[in-house]
Amino acid sequence: METIGFLLDGIFTSLQWFNLALLIFGCLIGLFVGAMPGLGSVNGVAILIPITFIIPPTAAIIFLAAVYYGAMYGGAISSVMLGIPGASTAVATVFDGRPLAVKGEAMTALTAAAVGSFVGGTVSVILFTLFAPPLAEVALRFNAPETFALMVMAFATFVGLGGDDVPKTIFSILIGLALSTIGLDLITGKPRLIFFNIPGFLHGINFLVLAIGIYGIGEMLWTLEETKGKVQMSKLSVNMKEVGRAFGALKKTIMAMNIGSFLGFFVGILPAAGATPASLMSYGITKQLSKNSKEFGSGVPAGVVAPECANNSASTGSMLPMLTLGIPGSPTTAILLGGMILWGLTPGPLLFTQEPEFVWGLIGSLYIANFFTLVLNIALIPAFLMVLRIPFAILAPVIFVLCVTGGYAPTQSLHDVWLMLLFGFAGYILRKLDYPVAPAVLSIVLGPLAEKALRQSLILSDGSMGIFFDMSEKPIAAVIMYIAIVLLIMPAFGPLYRRLFKKKQPA
Amino acid sequence: MSITNKITVKRAEIAVAVILALCSIALMIKSAENRITWNAEENMGAGFLPFYLSLGMLICTILTIIKFVLKRSPQSKDDTPFIDAVAFKFIAVTIISLVVLVLAIGYLGIYFSLIFFLAFYLRYFSEKSVAFITIFAITTPILTFLFFEWMLKIPLPQGISEPLFYPVYDFMYGGFSFAVKMIFIILTVVLPTALVFLTTRFIK
Amino acid sequence: MSIIKKLALVVVSLSLVAVSSVSSAKPFSPKKPVELIIPAGQGGGADEIARLVQGVIEKNDYASKPVIPINKSGGSGGEAMTYVKKKAGDEHTLIITLNNVLTTPVNQPELGIDFFNDFTPLARLITDTFLVWIATEGKNTAGVETFDDFIDLAKGNGLVMGGTGSMSEDELLLGMMRGQFGFDAKYVPYSGGGAVAKGLVGGESDFTLNNPSEQMGFYQSGDSKALVMMTPERNPAFPEVPSSYELGYPDLEYYMMRAFMAPAGIDAEVEKYYTGLLHTVYHDDEFQTFNIDDGKLMSWLEGYGLKDFLAIEYEKHGEIIKNFN
Repeated sequence: METIGFLLDGIFTSLQWFNLALLIFGCLIGLFVGAMPGLGSVNGVAILIPITFIIPPTAAIIFLAAVYYGAMYGGAISSVMLGIPGASTAVATVFDGRPLAVKGEAMTALTAAAVGSFVGGTVSVILFTLFAPPLAEVALRFNAPETFALMVMAFATFVGLGGDDVPKTIFSILIGLALSTIGLDLITGKPRLIFFNIPGFLHGINFLVLAIGIYGIGEMLWTLEETKGKVQMSKLSVNMKEVGRAFGALKKTIMAMNIGSFLGFFVGILPAAGATPASLMSYGITKQLSKNSKEFGSGVPAGVVAPECANNSASTGSMLPMLTLGIPGSPTTAILLGGMILWGLTPGPLLFTQEPEFVWGLIGSLYIANFFTLVLNIALIPAFLMVLRIPFAILAPVIFVLCVTGGYAPTQSLHDVWLMLLFGFAGYILRKLDYPVAPAVLSIVLGPLAEKALRQSLILSDGSMGIFFDMSEKPIAAVIMYIAIVLLIMPAFGPLYRRLFKKKQPA
Repeated sequence: MSITNKITVKRAEIAVAVILALCSIALMIKSAENRITWNAEENMGAGFLPFYLSLGMLICTILTIIKFVLKRSPQSKDDTPFIDAVAFKFIAVTIISLVVLVLAIGYLGIYFSLIFFLAFYLRYFSEKSVAFITIFAITTPILTFLFFEWMLKIPLPQGISEPLFYPVYDFMYGGFSFAVKMIFIILTVVLPTALVFLTTRFIK
Repeated sequence: MSIIKKLALVVVSLSLVAVSSVSSAKPFSPKKPVELIIPAGQGGGADEIARLVQGVIEKNDYASKPVIPINKSGGSGGEAMTYVKKKAGDEHTLIITLNNVLTTPVNQPELGIDFFNDFTPLARLITDTFLVWIATEGKNTAGVETFDDFIDLAKGNGLVMGGTGSMSEDELLLGMMRGQFGFDAKYVPYSGGGAVAKGLVGGESDFTLNNPSEQMGFYQSGDSKALVMMTPERNPAFPEVPSSYELGYPDLEYYMMRAFMAPAGIDAEVEKYYTGLLHTVYHDDEFQTFNIDDGKLMSWLEGYGLKDFLAIEYEKHGEIIKNFN
C-alpha cells in the first residue's frame, strides 16, 4: 500500500541522526514539561513555533511530535509521584497510580504507565494507517448531538466512582458542573457567575486550578495532618527483582490495554472530544468490566494502564480531525495547527493526498517518539523514584512552589492562584468529612464540553430533547445515548446481576 | 481544653453542610442574573443550568443535614476532634504561609517571595542547617526563573522587583554565544545545586 | 538571622546593578520580553497572526527581546482588555485586536473599559475579509448558485448559520444582513472558526460567514463554496468569487481588523519604537507572502489615520449593536 510506504519513509526520516537527536531532546523536554503540574505539551509546543522558522519543517514536526508524546508520558509521572495530575488527560491516572506509589509500588505504577502508553501509541498508529481516510468521514458527521451523547456516556461510565454517601457524591458532581459554567456563556455571550465583578472569573475556572488545588495543596495538607511533618518516605529498592515484578504485574492488564487502545483511538478521532474523555471513559469501562472492580481506586495496575493507554492512543487519533478538518482538539493541537498554517500547509480533506510526506512523516515521527519515550521513561524510573526519597519537610515546600507556578502559568493570572489555594483548603476539609472529590474534578473537565454540545443541539432542535433519541435522523447520537442510559441504569441492577453470577461459580 | 477539642467531627459536619447550603443559595441567586427559563418559546437561558445545578446542590446539602439530624451518617455520631492540636498548628502555619506567599508574589514578585517562603518553611518544619536552607532557598527561585522565563518563555509575576531582572534579560537575549550562556548557567545553577546535594550528605 | 542578612546583601547588590543599567539607557528598547496579549484562544485568526509576528521578529532579530504571545480569551476579549487597562504605563505589553475590542466595551459596560482612553493604538497591519459560504452538497441549499439565489432561499426558510460565538463579528454581520435583505437565520455558536467550517461541511449548518483562512481547506477540496466576498473588489486568492459591490450591494462591506495597541500612558518614544517594529514586520517578505496567499488585505495604517479609522469603526459597531438588539 502506498500509505505504508509513506509511513516507512516518515519513520526512516525521523531516524536520521540530526532528527533523532532532536527527537530525543524533544522527548526529554516533553517528559519534563509534562511532569510539571500545570504545564503541558502546550507550553513545550508553544516555545517551539518560532524555532520552526529556523529549522526545516520536517525536523520541526519531528521535534513537535516528540514534545507532544513526551508530555503525554510526563503527565503520568506527576500523577503517580506527586499525586497531582499534570494535565487533564492524566486525571484518571491519579486514581490508581497515586495509591500504588503510596503503597510503595511506584515502580509498578510507572512501568504500567510507560508500557500502557506505548501499547496505546502503537495500536493507534496501526489503526490510523489502516483506517484514517474512511474515519475522517465519520468524524465529519460527528456533530453537537453526537458529542453530547458521548459526554453522557462518559459520565455514565463513572457512576460507580463516588463514595458510599450518595448525597455527598451527587453534591460533588453538581458543584463541579456548576463551577464549570462560570465565565462567558458561549451561546448567549453573557457573562455568568462573575462574583463581585472580578475579571479573573471571565475566563472561567480552569480544570487545572481545581485539580492542582485539590490534589496538590489538599493532598499536602492531608499528609501533613496524618504525619505531623515527621514522615520519612518508604524505602525503595530498585533492583532486577523489582523490575521483573513490575512487568509481571502487567500480565493482568491485557484487557485494560485492549479497552484503552481501541476506545482511546475511536474517541480521539472525534472532533472536540480528544484524549481527556477517552482516558476517563477507558478507566470507567475497564473498572466496570473488571472482575475485581472493587479494588479499583486502591491501587491496581490496570487502573493506571487503562487511562494511560487511552490517552496516548487518543492523542494519535486526534491528529485526524486536526489534519482533515482543521479542528484542534486541544490547545496543543491548536498551536500545532497554527504552525502548519505558517508552514504553508492547509488542513483539510486534501491534505492526505496533497501533502502525504507531511502527514505520514508526522505519524511516523509520533511512532518513533513513542518508542523512544518508552525507552527513556523506563531508563529514568530510578531518577523519578528519587522524588520519594526526598524528606517530606523539603518535598512539601517544593510541591507548594510547583502548585503556585502551575496555577499561575496556564492563564497568567494571580486570581487563579488564589482560587487554587481556596480549592485546596476547601477540598481538604470536605475530604475529611467524606465528600468524594474526584467526581468534582471529572465534572469540571467534562462539564463545558457537555454544556456546549447540549445547548448547540437544543438550538438546532428548537429546544426539544428528542434530537438525542431520534433513530432515523441522528442514529449515531441515539445509539450512544441508549448505551449511556443502559450504563447509567446498570449499577442499580449490579447487585442483582452479581448474585445471579455468583451462584454459577462453585463455592 | 483547647479550641481544637471543641470542634468535633459532628460539629464540623453540620457547620460545613450549612455553609455549603448557603453557598448553593448564593449560587442560585447569582445564576438568576441571567434568564433561567427553558420553554417552548425561548430556548434554554444562560442561567438555566447553573441555577438548577445549584438547586441540586442545595437539595443534596439538605439531605446531608436530614441524615445528620436523624443520625444516619457516621459523622453525625462522631464526637472525636475534627483535627488534633498538633496537626492543627501545622496546617494553620502552612496555610498562613501560603497566603502570605501569594500576597507577597503580587507585590514583591515571585522570585524574592519564594526565597522568604522557602527559608521560613524549611526553618520551621525541617531540621536542616542554616547553610543548607540558604542555598536551597536561593537556588530554587533561580531554577524556577531559568525553567519558566528562559526555557519556556512564560513570564512569572515580578512585582516591584522587575527592574532587577533587566540586566538578566539583557544577558539572556544579548549577543552572547550559547557557550558563554551555558558556562554562566553552570556557574549560577549547576554548582549551587551540586552544593545542595553535597550538603544534604554532609550537613544535616 | 544570618539568612536574612545574606538575603539583604543579595538584594542590595542586585539592585545596584539594575539601577546602573537602567539609568544609562536613552533611546527606548525593551528591557524585558514583551507580552503580546491575544484576546482569543489558541488556534484562531488573531492567535495565528500574533504567533506569525512573534516568529518573524525572532527569526530576523528585529527586536532585542522576544515577544511572548499570551492568550487571554475570557469574556469575548473582556479579560484581555481589563488586563491591558490595568497595565497603564507598562512599556512591555501589547495587544492584538479582533473586532471584539470594539464591541465588548459596549456589550459589557460593567467592565468599565473606555476604548479611547485605555489604549494607545499603534498600527493596523491587516484587514481580514468575510465571505458567505455554503456547503457544495448542502441539503437545504441545493441548487443555490449565486448570492441572489441564496437570499431568495433564506427569506422563505429558517436556515441555520454556524458562527464563532454570540455577539461575535459574524453574528453582528448576520444582524446587518437581516436588516438589509430581510431574512433571518438560526444562529448556532461554535468555539472557533475551524469548528464552524466543519459544522457547515458536516451538514449541521446551512451557511457560515467565515474568514478565508478558516474555510481554505474545504474550499480547496471543493466541499464548500463562497457566494460573495464583502469587499469592493475581488480578491486574487478567490478569483471566481464576486465582490458585494459587483453584485450591487455596496452596503454589504465588513472587515476584521488586525491592529496592535499598547496600554494607555506610555511615552511617545515607546509608541514610536513599537510602531517602527511593527512597520519592519509589515514589510517583511515572509509576512507579506503568507498573508496575501491567505486572502488577507495588507493595509498599514498608523497615527491619526488609525485613530480616525478606529473612531469611525467604534461608532459603526455601536450602531450595529443597537440595531441588533
